[in-house]
Amino acid sequence: MKLIRLFSLTLLALAALSLAGCTKGKKGTGGGGAADGDYVNGTPLPDRQEGVSFLGSNVDRNKFRPVYFGFDSYTIGGGEHAKIQEVAEFLRSAPNTLILAGFTDERGTPDYNRGLGERRAQAVREALIHAGADGSKIQTVSFGAEMPADPGSGDSAWAKNRRAEFGVVR
Amino acid sequence: MKKLRAFSFLASCLFVSASLLRGADTPTITISKSDKIPIAIGSIGGADGGPAAKILQNDLAMSGYFNLVPATSAGFVVGGTSNGNSIAGNVTDRAGKTVLTKSFSGSARGKIHAYADEIVETLTGNKGFASSKVAFVGSRTGHKEIYVADADGSNVHQLTNDANISVGPRLSPDGSKLVYTGYKSGYADVYEIDLGSGSRNRIIKFPGTNTGASYSPNGRELAVILSKDGNPELYTTGTGGGGAHRLTRTPGVESSPTWGPGGDEIIYSSDDRGGPQLYRISSGGGSGRLLSTGHSYNTEPNWSPDGKKVAFTVRDGGSFSVAILDLGSGNVHTVGSGQGPAWGADSRHLIFAEGSSLILLDAQTGQKTTLASGLGKISEPTWSR
Repeated sequence: MKLIRLFSLTLLALAALSLAGCTKGKKGTGGGGAADGDYVNGTPLPDRQEGVSFLGSNVDRNKFRPVYFGFDSYTIGGGEHAKIQEVAEFLRSAPNTLILAGFTDERGTPDYNRGLGERRAQAVREALIHAGADGSKIQTVSFGAEMPADPGSGDSAWAKNRRAEFGVVR
Repeated sequence: MKKLRAFSFLASCLFVSASLLRGADTPTITISKSDKIPIAIGSIGGADGGPAAKILQNDLAMSGYFNLVPATSAGFVVGGTSNGNSIAGNVTDRAGKTVLTKSFSGSARGKIHAYADEIVETLTGNKGFASSKVAFVGSRTGHKEIYVADADGSNVHQLTNDANISVGPRLSPDGSKLVYTGYKSGYADVYEIDLGSGSRNRIIKFPGTNTGASYSPNGRELAVILSKDGNPELYTTGTGGGGAHRLTRTPGVESSPTWGPGGDEIIYSSDDRGGPQLYRISSGGGSGRLLSTGHSYNTEPNWSPDGKKVAFTVRDGGSFSVAILDLGSGNVHTVGSGQGPAWGADSRHLIFAEGSSLILLDAQTGQKTTLASGLGKISEPTWSR
């Protein structure tokens, strides 16, 4: 075990050395055997603001419309981009920070839903950054299938529940 | 030594037709469906002998290895004297020869569970689960809270009382600690509760969503899903959640890590290639290897303590089933509707959630028992070993 660990550490160190010469910030290439601290598919989150909660009274959840997603998907549909542009413009000029909360419908298992909700929030965060917003002002959290927008079951309720909500910190 | 003794007792027992497979130095005894050992509860004396006999009978029946029969047709007779916090146990074979004599101490139920586990191990060579603990999420109060219970479904109690969201519980293998995902801060953080003292600590609170924490077999490491680097990925951490080490880097969603018995490998679910699939990775690093199941939605894997099988949840159409993947042959079979399977210490029984019931399944015989109900919708069960 120890030997295997040592071996993989050595591999990691070698990979880090060889990467040091490469261009920084290669994004979206996926896979990759890079060392810890390299970001191939997302922008790291900033430190949390302690005491600020998506569920708290100091967060406005209704200022912007949620972004909706397809079943089992974290791809942002064409019709949703205008909402993201609107938030990006707001963030560029206003001093506020943002908490993005991801949600799923009820048709999944709990831990996977928590991951899928987080992935949705992160997809919107990446799109905001792409649209010029400062990523250091944007946190994410996932509630999975908890707190549905529509407590019902069926296609129309599920479509409303697969969402990312914008929480503007006042 | 104990196993060797058990082997010779079993071999001499006329009522047992067990297939015996010789390993390197310890024989393995495989008892198939129809080969239950006929056993009788004889006289349990002492101040609380009556209730002790009932608990013992239930434990032995639940283990799946025994048929409870009258003493005249039994291969073994279980006796003892139960007083206060101890029981002096004594098991004899048909010839009246003692095969087990030992005292056990603990609570009124705990001492009996310890005795039952010792009987299972002596007579079958396998680990029992009577002394283990289960935990799960229940929604009875209108909020998701964590509940714990004994493996026979007794002593159910509500562990968290936050009127918030408390989910994803995982017991440490020795049952002394529990980690879960809680939202008290407004974010998804990992909390650890010492079940003895009741003390609780928020141990993983990186930015983003921290979830899926699961103890390594020695209880000194956690596998956990963190999104701090911009995407949910699989990490390991040391005791108390320190020193996160990243294992995966995919554009997809990783979830529900489960450790192999040696602590050197982890199986998890990832939707990197479309629907969530199971992957196997070295806990030291490297790349995840796909485990084919033939199903398009595979989540909540749980690796058996003997390392041979993975139970997991599949979704077909709109419904969920529990399935078992045999790692040796690659065969997959479903065992019925339900979600969130967890193996017991014997690598034979599973618990899983089915609506508002916590179900115990003997995966060898298909026998099902309801361990808990009336606590709202049950999800994400976990079982100590």
